[in-house]
Amino acid sequence: MQETVANPWFRASFREWIFTTDHKKIAILYGMTSLLFFSVAGLMGMAIRLELNQPGVQYLDPDLYNYLLTGHGAVMLLWWAIAFWGAFSNFLIPIMIGARDVAFPRLNQLSYWFFFSASILVLITLIPSQQIKMMWTGYPPFVLHDTAGPTGLYVLIVILIAGSTLGTGVNFITTVLRFRAKGITLGKTNLIIHGLISSIVVQLVGVPAFVGAVVMLFLDKYIGTGFFDANTGGDPVLYQHLFWFYSHPAVYVMILPAFGVFSEVLSTMSKRPIFGRTSMIYAIWAIALLGFLVWAHHMFTSGMPQWLRIFMSFTTVLIAVPTGIKVFNWVGTLYGGAIRLNTAMLFTLGGIFMFLIGGLTGIPLALPAFDINVHDSAFIVGHFHYVLGMAMTLGAFSGVYFWYPKITGRMYPERWGKISFWLILVGANLLYFAMMMVGIEGMPRRYVDYPEIDYWVTLNQISSVGAVFLAVGVGVTFYAWFKGLSGPEAGRNPWGSPSLEWTVSSPPPPQNFDSFPVEVADDWSPYKYH
Amino acid sequence: MTQMFSVIGTAAASSAASTAVPLAYPADSWDQMFNIWLGLAVVIYLIVALPMLYFLYRFRYQEGVNETASTKEYESHGLEVLWTIVPLIVVIYLAVQSLTLYSEMRNPPPESLVVKTTGMMWSWQFDYPSGKTTYSELTVPVGKPIKLELTSRDVIHALHIPAAKTMEDAVPGRVTHLWFQFNETGEFTSFCREYCGTLHSKMQAKIKVVSQEAFDEWINAN
Repeated sequence: MQETVANPWFRASFREWIFTTDHKKIAILYGMTSLLFFSVAGLMGMAIRLELNQPGVQYLDPDLYNYLLTGHGAVMLLWWAIAFWGAFSNFLIPIMIGARDVAFPRLNQLSYWFFFSASILVLITLIPSQQIKMMWTGYPPFVLHDTAGPTGLYVLIVILIAGSTLGTGVNFITTVLRFRAKGITLGKTNLIIHGLISSIVVQLVGVPAFVGAVVMLFLDKYIGTGFFDANTGGDPVLYQHLFWFYSHPAVYVMILPAFGVFSEVLSTMSKRPIFGRTSMIYAIWAIALLGFLVWAHHMFTSGMPQWLRIFMSFTTVLIAVPTGIKVFNWVGTLYGGAIRLNTAMLFTLGGIFMFLIGGLTGIPLALPAFDINVHDSAFIVGHFHYVLGMAMTLGAFSGVYFWYPKITGRMYPERWGKISFWLILVGANLLYFAMMMVGIEGMPRRYVDYPEIDYWVTLNQISSVGAVFLAVGVGVTFYAWFKGLSGPEAGRNPWGSPSLEWTVSSPPPPQNFDSFPVEVADDWSPYKYH
Repeated sequence: MTQMFSVIGTAAASSAASTAVPLAYPADSWDQMFNIWLGLAVVIYLIVALPMLYFLYRFRYQEGVNETASTKEYESHGLEVLWTIVPLIVVIYLAVQSLTLYSEMRNPPPESLVVKTTGMMWSWQFDYPSGKTTYSELTVPVGKPIKLELTSRDVIHALHIPAAKTMEDAVPGRVTHLWFQFNETGEFTSFCREYCGTLHSKMQAKIKVVSQEAFDEWINAN
């Protein structure tokens, strides 16, 4: 497919976009699809906030509300928090390790089109008769019930996504293990590569359990097997175990790449090497590994035996240790720097602050004595929107701003970027802090209606105001990215980084590097600023 | 309605006066866990946020003053060991504290009144040992521990009692349990906490806490 990579990505014809195997074009495809669905799921979230602005059922029929909740959750997680990192993996990994493309370009193409097919199926759920109302978790026996919506569609979507994920998984793991240029050891690669690859390894190990679980759902509903149906000797809690065995580690799939962005941006913008770089790498992999030993903390009230609740409580709190190491090392990285607070840096710092709050409110959820009162309350929803919603999104936005000059060859407008940042930061904190407080006060999650209790109403209205700020802020970022396309030329290396992607022209040429194989000096490091 | 829920809003205030008998058990244990966590979380937040904000100010880029970063190596194994060990001790302490509180919150006192509780879309059925059955309304005597044995007829539900700050899922094919005790009479509400379809948010049960005499009279009527 030489012809498909003859032009830089932004000059490609429609035919090239369809048939391309170029990792940079596929990255753009992932990114654009992801942003489109992020916007749709965001609007669903706004509709939910509108309904919750006052008690009673005003605007949305409860079934429509349940569909919007399901859609908002599933699309934000699968199309945004996981898939957007697919764009980062595709664009950055080959260039950062000095490769011309991924190990299996054709498989990479197939992975994207699997993802695209799943995207089309998701759009089908917009048709009223096809609305899935089972929540993104899809717990049986509710899923087996007629009012849950088309389970088969949900299962098919998950399988297509899984196909895409597994293809990407083997592809990028092979690429990083086999395609690194001479001299770039695993210890020397950028931290974001560890972030992206650890998240890919987690997917490769965990996704099969998830697929197994939804296939069993499918068989239960349409073929009449009884895996999860208590009436035929099955057990609904079994599904929860299989589901969370992947879906808990999946939160690290979403956040570890954001940690990678934080490290890259923090180091580059303060011109200091990463503090405690070796321990950072160990911390990333420790989180990825420990992530598989903690799933049952989602099930502290599901009727599991007591010993399992206690055991999973202890394993869960241990994750705070490697996460703490990362946060402290980021603070240490700032020490002695010459810190430039541009948009990319602001988003990273905001992301770390949001993660700090999200992490500290996550610790008590590992404690059954605390969880017993806030399980399935708005507190949980606020907590995971701090971590997965905001820390991940701010990380992703920071990454786009940071690599914007590399991807487009142009400079984004700083002023609009900064306005967007402050709108998002203020809006998100109003929205999610109030949500956590109303959860502590007892408000359950997934409620279309709630009793008229004064402070529940007040806190929900604060949340709704925050949501408006947040939505406007995201809109301003989209505007900044659009406006940046006609911005000034950025040049090869606007941030003065020694990392490999900044040594090629912006945007990178079809084969990435002018001379091949790529050579680096013995003392090369992506964080060596002097 | 507002009056009925005011107790949830004053969690911090009620736990401050810890000598007084709490409105309901095991809410007092939860308040204790909450206060321990909140104190630690605020301290940890400040330990991270203050140095970070200070460094952002102290080491900001300034033309002619601070244009290039220091070239010194600042690796410190001592610091790294410190911020590995201290958080480890803190979280282990929290988990152990939770373990002791949780066993109180989970294990009902032996003299508890057992009420079989069955969830269904979208109401609750309560079966008393005397054979009496009620729907969506649970009447209990004040000052006596109540153990609910939960199960479900259709999909998974969960019974949460905000005033007692405890909950447990009602799972078809399983019997789970929770316990609570009210120390004041009154009317309280419980909410379904596990998504169960269209009317999930309407699946509430009223909890009427009455004196022992009134309860005896009620249970023996009919």
